[in-house]
Amino acid sequence: MLKLDEVSKTYGNKKEKAVDNVSFHVHPGEIFGFVGPNGAGKTTTIKMIVSLLTPNNGKIIINGIDNQEDIQEAKKQFSYVPDNPELFEKIKGIEYLKFMADVYDVPVAERQQRTEKFLDVFEIKEAINDPIGSYSHGMKQKLALVGALIHDPQLFVLDEPMVGLDPKASFELKKIMREHCDRGRSVFFSTHVLDVAEKICDRIAIIKKGKIIEVGTMAEIREKAGSQESLENIFLELTE
Amino acid sequence: MKEILSLTKLFINESWGLSQFLYNKANNKKEFYKQVFTLIIVPVALIPAFFMYVFFMIALYAGLRMINQVSVFLSISYIMTVALILFFGIMYVLSEFYFSKNIEELIPLPITSGKLIIAKFFSILIPEYVFAAFLFAPALIIYGVGEGMGVIYAILSLLVFLTVPVLPLAMLTVLIMLIMQSGSFNGRQDVLQIIFVFIGMALFIVAQIWFGNQMGPSENVDFQILMSSLLANNESLLNTIGYFVPTSLLMAWALNKITLMSFVWSAAIIGLTLLLFALMVAVGKQVYIKSIVRGKSQKKGKPLSGSERQKVLGKKSHKAMAVFTMDLRLLFRTPIYFFNNVSIVIIVPLCLLIMFPFLDLTPEDYESIRSFYRELPLLVNFALIGFFIFFGGTSAATASTFSREGKASWLTRMVPVSAADQIIGRTGVAVLIQSMGIVFTLVTARVYMPISIFSMMLTIVLGILGSLPILLFGLFMDMNRPLLDWDNPQKAVKNNMNVVITLFVGMAYAGVLIAVSGLLGYFVMPWLGYSFFSAISVIMTIVLYKTIDRNLETRLLNFE
Repeated sequence: MLKLDEVSKTYGNKKEKAVDNVSFHVHPGEIFGFVGPNGAGKTTTIKMIVSLLTPNNGKIIINGIDNQEDIQEAKKQFSYVPDNPELFEKIKGIEYLKFMADVYDVPVAERQQRTEKFLDVFEIKEAINDPIGSYSHGMKQKLALVGALIHDPQLFVLDEPMVGLDPKASFELKKIMREHCDRGRSVFFSTHVLDVAEKICDRIAIIKKGKIIEVGTMAEIREKAGSQESLENIFLELTE
Repeated sequence: MKEILSLTKLFINESWGLSQFLYNKANNKKEFYKQVFTLIIVPVALIPAFFMYVFFMIALYAGLRMINQVSVFLSISYIMTVALILFFGIMYVLSEFYFSKNIEELIPLPITSGKLIIAKFFSILIPEYVFAAFLFAPALIIYGVGEGMGVIYAILSLLVFLTVPVLPLAMLTVLIMLIMQSGSFNGRQDVLQIIFVFIGMALFIVAQIWFGNQMGPSENVDFQILMSSLLANNESLLNTIGYFVPTSLLMAWALNKITLMSFVWSAAIIGLTLLLFALMVAVGKQVYIKSIVRGKSQKKGKPLSGSERQKVLGKKSHKAMAVFTMDLRLLFRTPIYFFNNVSIVIIVPLCLLIMFPFLDLTPEDYESIRSFYRELPLLVNFALIGFFIFFGGTSAATASTFSREGKASWLTRMVPVSAADQIIGRTGVAVLIQSMGIVFTLVTARVYMPISIFSMMLTIVLGILGSLPILLFGLFMDMNRPLLDWDNPQKAVKNNMNVVITLFVGMAYAGVLIAVSGLLGYFVMPWLGYSFFSAISVIMTIVLYKTIDRNLETRLLNFE
């Protein structure tokens, strides 16, 4: 579903690479967690996947489409929710959802059905006719999630999705991620909450100073680390 | 004082992105050179306009000298400078004090409200000094040199100059703070801002018209008679203005002739400035922080029922239409964008409509206007086309289209919308705004001139066609160097060099094209002029469209 092949990124004329020769593969039906310390290159990697940055080297293939070669087609395959979703403050929630449905060309019946379902799940029906500027951080996050799910993407990319969500919404999101993958689609997300990564991810990649230092299932990571400890302990050992 | 200076530095740094500039110097050479290029090219482009202004002031001074009435020279330029500072200051004060997000981060810090207010005020004041230096300093120098003034004049004029932007800005800040603290505006601050701006502009226009009307009807007026007419009403005019800008009288008494009293009047103007500044701080301490911590409530919509939601979502739109609607909503709902990008198409025709009655035109005058149109429709048509292109160029709707989205632009860059749909949607908004200006202008023009339906159709089509290359050039500029990192929407337009560059390049292009087409039409045959104009516009539109279409998707990948 998502394949990164020797992807590198350098900002400006800095010598140090923000992302250094990163390769991994996210399979269909898989929740893939992406963890690493601050400044390790998680967000840069995600931005390259979702066409917000161009890599200096390497290829990113989404559902069989090269996101540098056929940008439009690649964009149709995924949806993305950033860690701090800045949305158009003067636009109403419902207008934002209509915009998302229009640009992803979602058929009327599907957009209506999905919107109702996710507005219910995230409990923001009452606020949907208000300007986004009046929303709290968590509500903006929920609206961005509904907008991202409106076209039922093949690949769902999230950067720190649990930040700002209340416990119930966080629980619902984890359920949605699992259901999404059960239908053969994939989820790729970054997180600092290692407990969540350990519990819900099928596979995990650990990135440090722009390089992938470990990738695999929890069992594989434990085996390589020669320890039966939690992901948190292994992470601390690997990243120190 | 140290705290105030460091806060002022912080606000200015934030406004002008100085730290980012230095960061780019070390880490992003390409971006750094782009910024340096802009820093050089914009002042260079403004040099001709500045010299034109200086020549105008010299001519004004010479004219007044010929009729021995130089005493009003400084007053005129002083009042003009103060009026412009007041006019543009409205948006700056509102933006810095009420729409900048930094205040929310600073209030919890142990900084007194007085220091915050002074630092914010200074951060607006410093750019206004640059503005005043270009407008008022030439007048002071021309007068000083012309009248052979000495060192005392130089010292006193420097002191008076230092007070020039402080007075109007302090007054304005007090007024805005008092209005904004009113609880009744809760949830309607955006609306208030638009109303406030329009009241300011209306006052400015009325003052202009009134000023013009004092000079009498414009027929048979040459420069000397015009000045005589002005000076015949000199006393009452200056005295009346003196009520609104009392310091103009103090300034004139202080600098027109250097006597011992000049020191007294200079001291008075400085004292008054300090008094108003203190008043601004005192009022601010009482109301400013309180109005901020009370919270900004937004007017909420009524909850939608299931069927209402279904109805909204049930209307499927084309992607270009989705982009168009989103851009249009942002423009009309964000007061600063509305003011900068839209209001011009309402205000300019409105000015024309108001100004004509004040000109006291006789039925013979109207008849001569009509006969001029009947004899030379080509000139009138091209003048109208130029006017319509002016709306397209000055609205800057495309030149700031990506910049206006700021940090939310990730959405535009991520969604699968083709370059063609982006171009159509965004240019469509600019054309719509321009069309509003065209309709208002034609309605106004029809009142005074029997413009034929054919002329109207021709000028509408050619006006829009002629502005397409300028609109696309604006889009091209903003796609290549969008200004996305701002915390205050004012910066997306006012600090955006794409807007300035598009305006200058666009107007120069339109000027040359209209001149050449007009000459062809006048000396060869009208249809040749119109055809030449259309052909060049179509070619330029196609070239720019194709350039943007080819590069937009790649550019969207590299906005950061």
